Amino acid sequence: MRPRKLLRIARWEVTKNAGGIDRKTAAIVGVTLLLFGAVAPLVVAQGGVAIDQGIYRVGIDEESPLYPVVEDDQTFAIHEPDATLGDEIDVRVSSTNAVSSGTQKGEAALSELRSSVTAYNDRIMRGEANQSAAFPVSVTLNYVERNVQIGVGGNGDGGAGDGTGDGTGDGTGDGGTGDGSAGGGGTGDGSAGGGGIGGGFPSFTGSSGTTGSPSDIAPPFPFESLVLAFLFVLPLNFVIQAYGSTMLSERINRRGELMLVSPVTRGDIIGGKTLPYFAGAMVFEGLITAGVFYLAPDPGTGIYSILAIVPLVLLFLSATFLGAMFARSFKELTFVTVAITVSLTTYAFVPAIFTEVTPIALISPLTIVVRDIQGASISLTAFGFSTLPPLLAATVFYGLGAGLYREEDMFTQRAIPLKVLDAFAGRVKRKRSVMLVSIIVIPFVFLAEMIGVAMLFAVPEAVSIPAILLIVVVIEEVAKSLHVYAGYAHNRWDNALATAVIVGSLSGLGFFLGEKFFLLVQLLPADLPEIEQAALASGGTVPDVSPLIIGALLLAPLLLHVVTASASAVGMRKGRRGYIVGLAAAVAIHFAYNYTVVILFVQ
Amino acid sequence: MFNDVRVAIARRDIASLSREKTIVLALLIQLFIAAFSSFLVVGLTSLYDPGSVQSDQLTFGVSGEAREELDRAGQAAEVNTEIYPSQEAALEAFQEGEVVGVLHSVKTGPTISVTATVPKSSVQSTVTVVQVREVLEEMERDERTRRSAYLSTQPVPLPPEANASPYFGFTYTILLPLLLFLPPFISGSVTVDALTEEIERGTLELLRVAPVSLTDVVDGKALGMAVLAPIQAVLWIGLLSINGIAVSNVLALVALVSAISLVVVVLGTVLALSLGQRRQAQLLYSIVALGLFGAAALLPEHPATVVAKLAVGSETQVTTLTVVGLAGLAVVLYAVTRRYVGRIDPERYS
Repeated sequence: MRPRKLLRIARWEVTKNAGGIDRKTAAIVGVTLLLFGAVAPLVVAQGGVAIDQGIYRVGIDEESPLYPVVEDDQTFAIHEPDATLGDEIDVRVSSTNAVSSGTQKGEAALSELRSSVTAYNDRIMRGEANQSAAFPVSVTLNYVERNVQIGVGGNGDGGAGDGTGDGTGDGTGDGGTGDGSAGGGGTGDGSAGGGGIGGGFPSFTGSSGTTGSPSDIAPPFPFESLVLAFLFVLPLNFVIQAYGSTMLSERINRRGELMLVSPVTRGDIIGGKTLPYFAGAMVFEGLITAGVFYLAPDPGTGIYSILAIVPLVLLFLSATFLGAMFARSFKELTFVTVAITVSLTTYAFVPAIFTEVTPIALISPLTIVVRDIQGASISLTAFGFSTLPPLLAATVFYGLGAGLYREEDMFTQRAIPLKVLDAFAGRVKRKRSVMLVSIIVIPFVFLAEMIGVAMLFAVPEAVSIPAILLIVVVIEEVAKSLHVYAGYAHNRWDNALATAVIVGSLSGLGFFLGEKFFLLVQLLPADLPEIEQAALASGGTVPDVSPLIIGALLLAPLLLHVVTASASAVGMRKGRRGYIVGLAAAVAIHFAYNYTVVILFVQ
Repeated sequence: MFNDVRVAIARRDIASLSREKTIVLALLIQLFIAAFSSFLVVGLTSLYDPGSVQSDQLTFGVSGEAREELDRAGQAAEVNTEIYPSQEAALEAFQEGEVVGVLHSVKTGPTISVTATVPKSSVQSTVTVVQVREVLEEMERDERTRRSAYLSTQPVPLPPEANASPYFGFTYTILLPLLLFLPPFISGSVTVDALTEEIERGTLELLRVAPVSLTDVVDGKALGMAVLAPIQAVLWIGLLSINGIAVSNVLALVALVSAISLVVVVLGTVLALSLGQRRQAQLLYSIVALGLFGAAALLPEHPATVVAKLAVGSETQVTTLTVVGLAGLAVVLYAVTRRYVGRIDPERYS
């Protein structure tokens, strides 16, 4: 890869855009944005979009004391009080008495009316002359670290069902994760409350010792993170639109052929075509960061934010690149792009919502951004934990896509699943490269597992532990076997049983090494919640047991990975159906193992 | 109006979608979004509204001068309270895990100051804080009534508590509009693809050799995409009904979705034909489509509000008028676009 050539291709990519028909596009984009910019204040002026406007119908006459409440809340539509209940109205208010129609909608309307009345009362009370009579109660909220151990204590307290038994009140709704972080704080000296991950609560109520009226207190809700997540992720979607188009258009009518035959490497072409989009996205994100930090009350330096955004941008671009290499047509690319947008936004977004709640949030780089904005401290471990996996996953995507960036793959039309196999087959040339690919896919596996964990966050522990185990097992088994299957599909190995066992074992060994290496890099801390530990059960070591067992525990996962990967490999010899059978067997074995480990040691 | 050629083109486009199995991907994406947003809401609601999950009853320790009042408010709010003689005793119980939080009260002049101590451990504190708020709001109401002589306006009496599903509003105001608007948005995007693909690959030339006009080609492609979105809408409504979510005014909803898909398909068609390249057309399409969706707030009722009101069964005259108006607009726009297409010289793409 030579920088001069790379930069020249980048320049072409930019200048090709600025000349000819694209000047027209730029103008139209500009005018459109201006137009919408002019409309936006109007929309804001009329109170924005209220989707729930008038969805509940209330029958009420003007004499009722509740009339101003109903009139003030645009969720309600006012009707005559003598209209038929249930048919024409959902709630009837006669004087101060409110009756619902009894349907789901009626009950929802009544409940909405109730909260509306509370808010209305606070509003009118604020106008009272005698404030001590209007607000007779003032509240000071203190968040205090409790030293009580909520679970059993020790490492990752409490598996399924454990949290409910000890009577400290953490019900199923708390989710296992909450208990986990509390337990983590308890076992340590409790100073940082889970390795400094809990952070300070951002809202007014969060900081200890603030005072207000009862309705002012709100649970710590990271509303900012929601807005920020959208702010940071939205522009990326426009960038990948254009990026995906330009990559796919190289594949149309063999346009990319000219570039391929010129004396530049694949890396130069891909790098050069990507650079302008990466730079553009970073400028966008940089501006947003600057704006947000300018507005934030007590921000950090902003350097962490910018650094944390880089992997996210790369992940979006790399996934789009790979998608553009897979897609057969523009239509397909559109769906692939939408799929990428949706899944990566989820990945960036969901964990950031739980920034205050759990260390799981750290799987998304946006969490780093949010905490940087709040001025919270960010440890190097936390930073690595959230940025390394996406960075490595982006590398894997680019690696796989680059494998397809050649004459014989670019201009052929194949179904996406076959393209996926092609991409892997490009990397699996010899038996030992099976092991390498197994190691390379590890960050991706880790990321997928963490998303699974985050998605199951709100589910009760009794369901979430088996579910997460199943998800993890399926992800790991597919990751261990897909490239081996690609080798079979491309006739890289012969049909002998011994060969199948060898490539399977190599894949299992590679996976084992990668997993161990990754655990070391991540320094998987004890403050991870227990479902996350369950997720890594087959890779993690468990303290407080005799050295003999530790030795066995180290070797057992190796044996497990080798056996399961070989099981799928043996099945693959009989084609696709065989692969499915083999994979199912591998999943079953792996699940049984993980489940046993979790039951025996984590609980 | 539609002769065989156009239907054939539409069929071919839809067939290519199903052959590439992209339509499956599209449905999967929508299902994912639906599941995901539901997950978010269920997750957040359970964080916010402890009553929506079956958690064990939390007990609060109350102490201080107004402990009797706090205890009464706790009973009214259906929260367990236990009276402690002093704040120290209550805090000790808190540290030992016997109570989930402590409310200590001091009467300072005419007001009561309450110091609420809640655990710092994130999720639990959320649940606890919500309950603290309920108890204290109850107490505030109580105390206000007692001091009513000093108030110039009396607070409005509270309606009875209702047995409502916390997800009711979400289902109709977020989930349903999302599910109904996503298909048209994707349809418009695919229209851009279908046209720019023919242009960029040079296959529009081949279609021109066949005895069809450019208008026929555009008709066919637009028809295929404009039909797809309402079909998906019906599918989603059906699925929701199976899940026990009643959707009213299905016909009006389908009409609305059809109108909106026709509008965005027209947008996609015009952009694709005038720009001729996917990258530019697609970029502009998403900007304009999103912008229009936002600008629709200037209408008397936003289309999303119309969907919510129709589905929940609270339609008004304005709602009906909006649907009719949008349908009329869609037809007019389409007619104008056909005239525009008729005047395009297909040679410009070669």
